[in-house]
Amino acid sequence: MEEKSSEEPFEPVQSKNTTFDAQKPVTGQTKMQAAWSAESDEDGSAQIATKGQGQIFEQVYQPWSGELSPRWMRNWTILRHHILGIFKKGHRPWNLTTKLFILVVMIASMTDIAMVVLFGVLGDTYFYELWGVNRNNLYGHVLGFFPRNILYYPVLAALLVGGMISEDRTHGTSALYFSRPVNRFDYASMKFLSVALILLLVINGTLILYYMADILVKGRGWAWIIDTLPMFLGAFLGGVILSFTYTSIGLSLSSISRGKFFPAIGLIAILMGTKSVAAIIDNLFDNSILYVISPFDSVCHVVQELLGIEPTYSHPWAWSLVSIAIVNILALYLLANRVSSMEVTRE
Amino acid sequence: MDRDLIIQSTALTKMYGTHTALDSLDIKIEQGATGLLGPNGAGKSTFLKTILGLIQVTSGEGTVLGHDIRTEGEKIRQRIGYMPEYDALNPNMEAIYQVKYCGELIGMNPHVAMQRAHQALEYVGLGEQRYREVSTFSTGMKQATKLACALIHDPELIIADEPSNGLDATSRDFMLNTLNLTVQTGQRSVLMASHLMEDVEKICDNIVLLHKGKLAAQGKIEDLKAIDKEVEIHVWGAASKMEEELKQSGLKVRREGRIMRVGHTGDETYSKILKSAAKVGSQVRKMHDYEASLEDLFLVIMERLGHDVKSSDELLEGL
Repeated sequence: MEEKSSEEPFEPVQSKNTTFDAQKPVTGQTKMQAAWSAESDEDGSAQIATKGQGQIFEQVYQPWSGELSPRWMRNWTILRHHILGIFKKGHRPWNLTTKLFILVVMIASMTDIAMVVLFGVLGDTYFYELWGVNRNNLYGHVLGFFPRNILYYPVLAALLVGGMISEDRTHGTSALYFSRPVNRFDYASMKFLSVALILLLVINGTLILYYMADILVKGRGWAWIIDTLPMFLGAFLGGVILSFTYTSIGLSLSSISRGKFFPAIGLIAILMGTKSVAAIIDNLFDNSILYVISPFDSVCHVVQELLGIEPTYSHPWAWSLVSIAIVNILALYLLANRVSSMEVTRE
Repeated sequence: MDRDLIIQSTALTKMYGTHTALDSLDIKIEQGATGLLGPNGAGKSTFLKTILGLIQVTSGEGTVLGHDIRTEGEKIRQRIGYMPEYDALNPNMEAIYQVKYCGELIGMNPHVAMQRAHQALEYVGLGEQRYREVSTFSTGMKQATKLACALIHDPELIIADEPSNGLDATSRDFMLNTLNLTVQTGQRSVLMASHLMEDVEKICDNIVLLHKGKLAAQGKIEDLKAIDKEVEIHVWGAASKMEEELKQSGLKVRREGRIMRVGHTGDETYSKILKSAAKVGSQVRKMHDYEASLEDLFLVIMERLGHDVKSSDELLEGL
């Protein structure tokens, strides 16, 4: 037998040839053996792998001496792991509900694109102006309350943040990160970026498509683009602030939880609860000041000012801006605090 | 740095408020397999976090593979493989992707990580199960997957926290054999925290014993066993007199019927036993050195320590 190569993890199965003749007593074993390799009726030879000679598993330690990538590559790994998990196997396993909901929200967010294309092609001026790019429609694409910011984006954010950090606590997978050269800032920031980018893909991705659709359908020129670009950028910035705010509140809730449900329902409760309370107070006392406790309304107020839309709130927009800053700072503080307390040995 | 030392610390102290979790530890761990022992609350977890560079020490210094634990935590974690005690796997991921992801988190190229994940899972005996979801795995298979995660980048030091925790006899043997093979043929070092003395004894040549945050003992198991070395004798006739005589000649005796264990104080112990037997007219039908288990050793050290911890040198003194 040839000497085994050290690089070969398996030793080839050794076999022995057994010859059977007609005179040999027929037993179950010889029948089976002959069945595997019968050369004739008279006699046959069977390939028998014996325990002593053959092996199906041999443990061989295989060294490795490759180069390890720097910090940014490790961070890119975390980001890619979370985002690509939506599209393909082998990355973070998002559940089917979340994947389907992303698809549904993506399609639903493109209804204005469909209308622009439809009425642009039909040449219906009235309906085209109703759906085409203007200040109000750009604002509505990102911050319209119904259905976008009651049915689509908060629910999507809730589904995304639900288990983002809490599952690492539940499954102990935080140990996988922190026992490797991943620091807590990188861990939290990449998780944050993953959720925010998915939200941005849906909210701002469709906003870009909406703007592009108008340009292509109506054959808009540079003058129109120069006129509308600041509005578009204002709405884009609004989408960024909205995604950032939803993500920071959601992730902070995820970081204080061990399950998916609490952070998800907590985020929706905060967004809808604060808005409802503020709306009741506004209706009863005709005073919009309490909207500063509603993160959604604070973003709306600031973006209305950015886009130059008639504000729907009576208090100064700077208060809403401060409110957004405070909410995000508190949420990020909670997130940082909880992530820094995550254990690598045991929770 | 001493070339053979993989971990060393000098006066390493970690305090949480007023509680001292690690108290001036002077530890030297050589290449090879070392067991980290200690009762609950001894400071094992804090020590592991410290050498992983995850928590800042209050005072003192230390190095792991030549890197300072105070400033080079990331470099340390890049060169070691850590196998946590508890579940640390995403149950909804296939084992192969889980191990691959662990490699990528270290900094491995995705393609290389995939290739290594296959090798690592093959090595830990999960070659055929690598495309199964972790949630369908038994405890033994999950432990093996965690080991594969630790081994993917071929680290110089593997820190295994209770690697045989919750395993049945077969899985436990396989896990211990795998770690042993990694040390013997892979020439890698293992620091194994465990409360199962038998497991530590099977794999490790050295131990570090912590007690209430202090170093209780460290060194080669064989050397430390000298603390509890005894001579076992089977006596026929006048056993009580024999016991008295041995005690009068300054030897420590533990007796159970005709079997006595006499504290080994040096080569003269054997002649003292025979002289005592001759004096009281007792027959010594069998006499041999009694090999203490690591568990015996652990109990003896703990008994001697009481509430006041001594250094291992002090423990060995007076033998």
